[in-house]
Amino acid sequence: MIEIRDLVFDYPGHRALHGVNLSIAASAITALVGPNGAGKTTLLRLMAALETPYDGRVTIGGLDTREQPRAIHEQLGYLPDFFGLYDALTVRRCLFYAARSHGIGPGEAKGAAEAAASRVGIAERMEQPAGALSRGLRQRLAIAQAIVHRPKVLLLDEPAAGLDPQARRDLSRLLLELRDDGMTLVVSSHILAELEDYSDRMVIVDNGRIAGGESIALKGGNRLRVTLAQAKEGLADFLKAHGAEVLETGPDRAVVALAGEADARAALLAALIAAGYPVSEFAQDTQALEKVYFARVRGRP
Amino acid sequence: MNPELQRNLWLEASPFRLALIAGLLLLVFAAGSVATTGLMNTPRAALGLYWFFAVLWGTRSAALSVVVEIRERTWDSQKLSSIGPWTMVWGKLFGATAANWFGALVCLPFILWPVWHDDGAGAALLYGVILLSLGVFAQAVALLSSLVLIHRQTGNWRLDMFLCQVAGIGAAFAYYSLWSSIRAFRESGTTTLAWWGHDFTLGSFHLVSLLLFLGWALIGCWRAMRSELRFANGPYVWLAYLAYVAVYAAGFYAVFGVEILGNPSAATHGLRATGARLIDENHIPPISVPLALAGLILMGSVYGMAFLEAKDPVRLRWLGDQIRTGRWYSAFLAAECWMLSYAATLIAGLALAILWAGTPAAALAVLAMLGFMTRDICIFLLGRMFGGPKGDFGALGILAALYLLLPTLLRHAHATFLLIPGPHTDSLLSVMAAWAQGLGFCYWVARVIRDRAPRS
Repeated sequence: MIEIRDLVFDYPGHRALHGVNLSIAASAITALVGPNGAGKTTLLRLMAALETPYDGRVTIGGLDTREQPRAIHEQLGYLPDFFGLYDALTVRRCLFYAARSHGIGPGEAKGAAEAAASRVGIAERMEQPAGALSRGLRQRLAIAQAIVHRPKVLLLDEPAAGLDPQARRDLSRLLLELRDDGMTLVVSSHILAELEDYSDRMVIVDNGRIAGGESIALKGGNRLRVTLAQAKEGLADFLKAHGAEVLETGPDRAVVALAGEADARAALLAALIAAGYPVSEFAQDTQALEKVYFARVRGRP
Repeated sequence: MNPELQRNLWLEASPFRLALIAGLLLLVFAAGSVATTGLMNTPRAALGLYWFFAVLWGTRSAALSVVVEIRERTWDSQKLSSIGPWTMVWGKLFGATAANWFGALVCLPFILWPVWHDDGAGAALLYGVILLSLGVFAQAVALLSSLVLIHRQTGNWRLDMFLCQVAGIGAAFAYYSLWSSIRAFRESGTTTLAWWGHDFTLGSFHLVSLLLFLGWALIGCWRAMRSELRFANGPYVWLAYLAYVAVYAAGFYAVFGVEILGNPSAATHGLRATGARLIDENHIPPISVPLALAGLILMGSVYGMAFLEAKDPVRLRWLGDQIRTGRWYSAFLAAECWMLSYAATLIAGLALAILWAGTPAAALAVLAMLGFMTRDICIFLLGRMFGGPKGDFGALGILAALYLLLPTLLRHAHATFLLIPGPHTDSLLSVMAAWAQGLGFCYWVARVIRDRAPRS
């Protein structure tokens, strides 16, 4: 969906991005992580066609940000890290304006505003001025403004900053819903814990470069986690004998890579149970974000 | 309705605010109706209040329409919207100033009624057009200034807004003074104006001129907004504007008693007669006079834009890369306005020097002027590179020292030719000094750009 090739961006006296190459998959949530000042926000702004690269190119859905920035804006939603709202306007008017300014006709804008408000859970606040909303509700309104025109791509820069745990959980749920609707999301953050719940892939930006040179799959794939209710000898050997590659092992647990689809997993589980292993968990393994992050960004604990 | 206009109307034109403005104005005019002299005279008070609403406060509102978006961090979302540049311009221009226009329009009948009564409906209509266009012109200049200034990223929105307001008010005063001067001309017996060899009625010439400059201000806003909304602008609109102002200024050559096209009414005294005598005595080809006028205007645009534009060192380096790799057209398309003005001035200046070859002192003075201009532009660039956005003011200070303070010190040594252009006895030395400085500063700029290039 998003293709970045040899992207270079300079600030006066400082190169922010050094020939970045990256592909971002459609209908997935990609986490953009890295230390402060690594270049995440610059990369997001370049994806949003808000900045012009010094060299290289960014294409979204085949459109070049340098050549067709406005066409890209039509299919894009963007929430900057420090966003503003029209505090004197009601939520309804904020969303109506956002809808109209994204080309939705006057007749449909009202419905689009209400749909976006419902989606982020602020439908009952429609007549409140934006300036009277709490931090979390302002964040939801800002996201509603960004999605009111149902963009294909949503870019979020530090969306959970300053949110309480409940609001973060609601945000995670919302992002997953948007992804399930087919939206491509890129979420930037330097707080790894908040990304773990919903990210499918991770891109580590470090000092203006992509650590490891590509995005990393966090979910899906063929990694399986097997946990036993009680420790039992020979778990690793048993798994190997049944075609699994053992990646991590312990007396009561193992992480394996297993070729094949659902049938292969069902067969392995059946074999474990038949052999008397007290299986308490047999699930697809999600890589711990923090673990992967520090493995890639060496020397930056 | 234009969404940007609607949003601005929600914010700026609340019924309470409009009622308050109308109530206060009607109170003032009621008081004015019982007082017949001084400031409280109703038409005079109405005119003063019109200036307040349309110009003083209107320029502030117009400038703030963009500055506030940046300050409140809503500009990015506007840039990402689907609103077109022209829709955004007029939505802001008339939306952010809605309350101002409401107040100004309440004042207008009180201003025009006495004109109608004394001079008839035609005069009142014309005066109304002038006043309305004056307000739009002032606000458009303020909006345009704010759109240019935001690239400088000063971080000081109050100063930005003040500068934009000053630009808008200055434009309004220039506009109004030009119009008011017609009466003074008429009283001195002048009813026509010679432009490109043809006599035009003063009133119609001024009105058309003012409306054309208003048109250019609006085109400027549109172009600057296009740039903000990430459209590629290209150089052609600015080049067209340069051509327009150059032709416009050059057309006034008759002021110097020159006759090229047609035969404007002869003058036996005043500036025209003096100019004709000087040109004749110095064997200056008449055709060079309009070129000199155009050149001066172009040079003014170089300094103006060199001060106003961002002069981003990264962009300069990128342009340098394009030129070095032979992508001239790409560099031309991305050139900043001051660069185009500089090139146009250089061409006009060289043409002038050739035409004035028969008067070497004049030709050398032009060449020296071009060299000093090159130096001055480099001072603006270096100011930006070393001082950031505030460096432009530093550059102004250095230029003030170069043109005002140091020549005073050097005058006793008869060495002012080293610093400023002019009719010097050592004209050739002046040219050499000017270009040595110009090229030296160019080298310095290139070095700074190269040295500050990030290492991969």
